[in-house]
Amino acid sequence: MTRHLPTIALGALLALAALSIVFSVRPGPEPTLSERAGALARELRCPDCQGLSVADSPTSSAREIRRQIDELLATGGSDQAVRNHFVARYGDWILLAPRSPLPWLVPLAFVIAGIAGMVAWLAGRTRPPPAASPLTAEERRGLREEAEALDA
Amino acid sequence: MIPTIGHASIVIGLGLTTYAVVAFVLAAGGRDERLAASGRRAVIGSFVAALVGCVAMVISLLTHDFSVLYVAENNATTTPAFISAISLWAALEGSILFWTLMATGWASVVLHRHRARHRLLMPWVGATLACVNLFFFAVMTWAGNPFALTAPVGAEGIGPNALLQNHPFMALHPPLLYLGYTGMAVPFAFGVAALVTKRLDEEWLRIVRRWTLVPWIFLTLGIIAGAWWSYEVLGWGGYWAWDPVENAALLPWLTATAFVHSAMVAERRGGLRIWASALVIATFTLTLVGTFLTRSGVVISVHSFTQSAIGPWFLGAILLALTLSLGLLVWRLPGLIGGGRPSGLLSRESAFLLNNVLFLGLTFAVLFGTLLPLLVTATSGDTISVGAPWFNTVNAPIFVALLFLMGIGPALPWGQASWATLRDRFAVPSILGAVVVAAGLALGLRSAAVLVTLGIAVLVGAIMIGEVIRGASARARGRDEDALTATWRLATRNRRRYGGYTVHVGVLVMAIAVAISSGLATDATVTIGPGETARIGAYEIRHERLVVEPLAADARVIETRAELTYTGPQTGSLRTALRDYPNSPTAIATPAVRTSFGEDLYVTLLASDPSTQAVTLHLFVNPLVVWIWIGGVIVGIGSTFAIWPERRRVAVAAAQPQRAPSVSPVEGA
Amino acid sequence: MRHLRWLLIPLVVLPLGLLLLSGFGRDPREIASPILGRPAPEWSLTTLDGKALGTDALAGRPYVVNFWASWCIPACVDEHPVLAAAHERYGDEVTIVGVLYQDDPGAAESFLARYGNAGYAHAVDERGALAIDYGVTGPPETFFVDADGIVRAKQFGPLTDALLADRMASILNVAER
Repeated sequence: MTRHLPTIALGALLALAALSIVFSVRPGPEPTLSERAGALARELRCPDCQGLSVADSPTSSAREIRRQIDELLATGGSDQAVRNHFVARYGDWILLAPRSPLPWLVPLAFVIAGIAGMVAWLAGRTRPPPAASPLTAEERRGLREEAEALDA
Repeated sequence: MIPTIGHASIVIGLGLTTYAVVAFVLAAGGRDERLAASGRRAVIGSFVAALVGCVAMVISLLTHDFSVLYVAENNATTTPAFISAISLWAALEGSILFWTLMATGWASVVLHRHRARHRLLMPWVGATLACVNLFFFAVMTWAGNPFALTAPVGAEGIGPNALLQNHPFMALHPPLLYLGYTGMAVPFAFGVAALVTKRLDEEWLRIVRRWTLVPWIFLTLGIIAGAWWSYEVLGWGGYWAWDPVENAALLPWLTATAFVHSAMVAERRGGLRIWASALVIATFTLTLVGTFLTRSGVVISVHSFTQSAIGPWFLGAILLALTLSLGLLVWRLPGLIGGGRPSGLLSRESAFLLNNVLFLGLTFAVLFGTLLPLLVTATSGDTISVGAPWFNTVNAPIFVALLFLMGIGPALPWGQASWATLRDRFAVPSILGAVVVAAGLALGLRSAAVLVTLGIAVLVGAIMIGEVIRGASARARGRDEDALTATWRLATRNRRRYGGYTVHVGVLVMAIAVAISSGLATDATVTIGPGETARIGAYEIRHERLVVEPLAADARVIETRAELTYTGPQTGSLRTALRDYPNSPTAIATPAVRTSFGEDLYVTLLASDPSTQAVTLHLFVNPLVVWIWIGGVIVGIGSTFAIWPERRRVAVAAAQPQRAPSVSPVEGA
Repeated sequence: MRHLRWLLIPLVVLPLGLLLLSGFGRDPREIASPILGRPAPEWSLTTLDGKALGTDALAGRPYVVNFWASWCIPACVDEHPVLAAAHERYGDEVTIVGVLYQDDPGAAESFLARYGNAGYAHAVDERGALAIDYGVTGPPETFFVDADGIVRAKQFGPLTDALLADRMASILNVAER
């Protein structure tokens, strides 16, 4: 039984992977207006807070922004239109995550470079140092003579 | 009188520390023991000076001595005594004084404990620590004097920052954090000493193991206490916002954790000397960078104070410390290269190395995200934000990978692992993990983050249990002990390993709690009048009455309080309020949190209508939050267990009865 | 080549130092305003006196919009006389309008009673929609709009006489400067 355990484990993991792919690829239900509003509120920065999102902030400006999000979505605006509405007023600063893809990739590149460096370093170390070649008879004689000279 | 004593003690501390630096450097050069001893005494003297300064400040706060500017800005006649006392670390100048107390304390303890050993290293350790303390005394003398006086002396003070008065954790979080921060100077000092004296082998790593873990424990508990305090006080229902000051505390913690792990490799297998030295330098530098970010006014944050004069001082210190220590590292580089036994790509060493790469990846990501807005503004003039959504998305995969590594790393042998061993050890745990994920999917869980975290947590937990069972059963069989005794004896004789397991268990608990509390939390904003009820999750909340009155403890504060009752998995009454402090423009929310092992009911008062007596509430049900704090406590217990001194084996062996060896005549030659 | 490794030090220290240094002297709360050079938002609100006021009444002349609050101490207190002097000096060509930011009208009235009412109108931005349209992050912030309705200048933080004169210059006609 224990011999087959690894195969069972592998089978279970593969089945799991398949299930997850099926679930993630299958289109979920359309997000409701309030779900979209909540998601957008989490993306926007509260203007007079210290870095909180509009969703988390109790200030009246956050309240008004949430009200405006609801209004814009109710009149048929897209998510991007809502973002553009506030970026036109505050600039990119109002978005809690940068728009450009570059900042997202930089840490990933760092980690990949680190792993590559680590593998290279480990591979370099697994080669054992070259075995010392045995002394020839001539070298041995030479050494003995030198040692005797020192003892004198 | 008292302020004069306080100021004098700071100047005396400055003098003593300067003397200590000179004495230690001369002692190191001339191998002079008496100079080193006198330097040691000077350091202890500087600790006494800092202590006198702190006591003087606390007395000034308790007696509401408004002739001292710091007291006038952070205290009022109505401030309760407890709050007055802990206002020592409420604002800039006082917290630097408190910091200096801790820094001189660490230096005194380290130098005293090793006074008879490591004669080559200790003078340089002393010199480095004294230099660090010199910086802080200098800042207090010239850039931020805690005992600066005001004239004319007002009859009333401004009072402490409203946010800092609401919760007893204000007494806990800064001291723990500062003990952690200041303690990181100790491994740094040993690293510098090793580089200067060319004692480049692993000796200094063995010495600093405990000296790194103790501040690490404080830093961990301090960060968790800060998250807990933020959760209980700030009212937005969360505990971590990737605020620059939170990041400032996290950065040195990340490199310190990486260092603790890499030191294990360096001690057992050798090598990694450059890396270990670089990590202690990075950890210490990051404590300075963290303080700089918090205090300089260069970034906005929850902790933001106004731009202060000490910003340039800290920047100078960071650049100087970095230049000198990097210079030392580069100078000794040839002697640091090499060493260490080779190991396979699949081994415990490679797991530790991957651990370091991932921790450094996190450090880089957090530092990058915190500084990117500054960089963008400096280069293009635009302003951008890097907030929680970015940090969560970028860091989550790295955390998950670390969680996975935490499980398989300790199960890998040193040197080289074979696939057969791996298959045997990981098969059952993998199956269990897969089963749990499948069960989660079947139960309706759809959040990828929650499912993956649960699966990995079960995998890691099962591996750890397997390791403990393997070890304990081997011991029980060999010594004829029962399972429990075997496990306990095994643990106490391998404190590092089993302390480490406990720490990892704590991390697991926290990971599960974080994943579920953020993935499955529900919230709602409701407005209800007196007698009406609102529903959230399985709870029903009923508005009983709205009360507006001054606080009993401090009559200048007006509290608007909603008194509610609730039923559901927990039942009872709660009060949530908005407090109007005279020195704060907006009212401060005091959320009510009802904690159970299953979930927290969290209620914040957003607004109230005095005419209708209606209240607008933000309601949360946050599952498993208390397990985050419990997990943190487990981490603290595990790490304390790991560094607890082991009983000397010699005494135990001597206590066993001597058995006469049987002698048999030897045949032959 | 051996000494190449010493380059590591300036490579690490210089960029870090320059970056952290760049933050000094700047208020991190000040954001790059996208409204500069663009048309000013349209609005119609009620003033503290109960009268209606809006951009249609302000059209045709340059105007100044100053967001303030009674709890914004000491910044709004410091710039109050500067704005009063501006109203005295430029009042014929430029309309100055105060806008309450997250404030209670009663508290605002007390502020004006205590620090002096220069005579220009103060609109009550009840929901805070105008502050959002202008991209205000906190009082005091002042916007300078020219006769064509384009926002030409912005002041983040309290005004001084010098700063005010500089900003005014951008919206006044060249001949009258």
